[in-house]
Amino acid sequence: MDERMGESLSALMDDEANELELERVLAQVSQDPELRRAWIRYNVAQQAVQGSQIARLDWDISERVKSSLEVSSATAREPTGIGFKQRMLRPFVSLAVAASVAATVVIGGQQLALIGSDDPYDYGRSVATNASPVGMLNSLGATTVQASYGMQAVPILEPATSKAYQELALQRHRKYMQEHAEQAALNAPQGLIPFVRVPQIQE
Amino acid sequence: MTSLSSVSKKLFRYLLLAAFSVSTSAGANAASCPDDDAVALSWLDKMSRSLRQANYHGVVTLQRDGDMQVMQVSHIVGDGSSSERLVELTGRGAQVERLSHPLDCIHPGDRLLRGEALLPEKSCGIATHYRFAVTPGERVAGREVVRIVIEPRYMYRFGYVVDLDEETGIMLKAQTIGHDHKILETMQFANIVYSDNLPEFSQADVIHTAQHLDPQSASAQDPVTRAWNIGWLPLGFAATGPSTGTSERRTYTDGFAVFSVFLEELNVEVRAGEGLVKRGGTTSYTRGMRIDDQPVLVTVIGEVPVNTARMVADSLDWLP
Repeated sequence: MDERMGESLSALMDDEANELELERVLAQVSQDPELRRAWIRYNVAQQAVQGSQIARLDWDISERVKSSLEVSSATAREPTGIGFKQRMLRPFVSLAVAASVAATVVIGGQQLALIGSDDPYDYGRSVATNASPVGMLNSLGATTVQASYGMQAVPILEPATSKAYQELALQRHRKYMQEHAEQAALNAPQGLIPFVRVPQIQE
Repeated sequence: MTSLSSVSKKLFRYLLLAAFSVSTSAGANAASCPDDDAVALSWLDKMSRSLRQANYHGVVTLQRDGDMQVMQVSHIVGDGSSSERLVELTGRGAQVERLSHPLDCIHPGDRLLRGEALLPEKSCGIATHYRFAVTPGERVAGREVVRIVIEPRYMYRFGYVVDLDEETGIMLKAQTIGHDHKILETMQFANIVYSDNLPEFSQADVIHTAQHLDPQSASAQDPVTRAWNIGWLPLGFAATGPSTGTSERRTYTDGFAVFSVFLEELNVEVRAGEGLVKRGGTTSYTRGMRIDDQPVLVTVIGEVPVNTARMVADSLDWLP
């Protein structure tokens, strides 16, 4: 994570980021493990401060990210010089953005083991013995807050698990499709055309 | 009357060509199969060989889920090898190329299409698993075609309608058909030129060299710590590489459909569940579960129905 990105993230979490900084962070966060970890750290700290609002999140990850981007896009048309938070009409949107991206990051990090001892907030253990990485996804913020700060968990774990698996399947599709296409291109009668099914061909 | 006569002549021509092909092809199994299957199998044999023999370039479209992708393709043969190139004209514009692929390097998918006995089953090869009907088709990319309707005999596969160039055997159009007869995906040439003079290709920012994976070599990526086994496969699918060991991936083909199985060992508990992504004819099924005491994540990706993917994932086990 370079210094500029760190400043953007810090500004975002302090509700002082502009839409360009938000987009920059969102674009980079999936490829930068240090940025991911920093985001999660900031997110947890922010949740600690605003913890009483955690249960208001509905954990619909894709919608959260989408809506945050829509908000970002909408704010681009507003006069400059207005703080990020001030441009958010809803009181907890920035938290929602942070939480949703943090949750996405857990899956988007490709490796479920990311949530482990490497994590200074010890998500892996705090989510307890019978919870899954996928369970962690939907309960990431809530469970951590519950363990660390005595808050109530978000009471929608099961439906969110289904959503989490859906997101996980999408991530695995992106991760493995090219390797599958390598095989399909050698073993199906369409030449290289199976590669066109790959969401994003990598070199 | 004229058109009916024309169709009859074309059909006769197909049968004649097919009969000749059967007698000269390596498809030994075809000889013991019903006549209609023999005709189809001979065309499939020709298709498999033509893909490695012809010089051509053209523009291909892939339609699925209401979206259309467009690509430029080329195929050149020379000096005992073939070279292929594909450039996306929509989307990210990536280029994929496979250079100097030896002509005598025949992978399991082609071997199945040519009727080779890769599997221990006593059968007519792929005709055991598909019903075929050969009919005249409409022109594709200005070329006369023969149409093969390929219907799965069992529910573990999709169906296909493929149009082969009547002269060269190149597959000019392929539709993947779901169980409800819904067209899941359509690939077709918008134009094709048989020539060894290639046009200038679009510039690509991303250039990927397709891997040439030796059928006998295992996937080197992220091996799992224990040998694992897939207990159930639809009949007629052969492994494209080693089917035992600790590699992360196994891939299987029946000549038309290909699916891959990826296994990840997790170092944390997993709550059982499943997720599904469908893109045209491609199914991507991810399942979290335990094998013995080991939490794992299994992903099955390929051109098979979701129930097939689920049953394959269900059957994973550790080898003793």
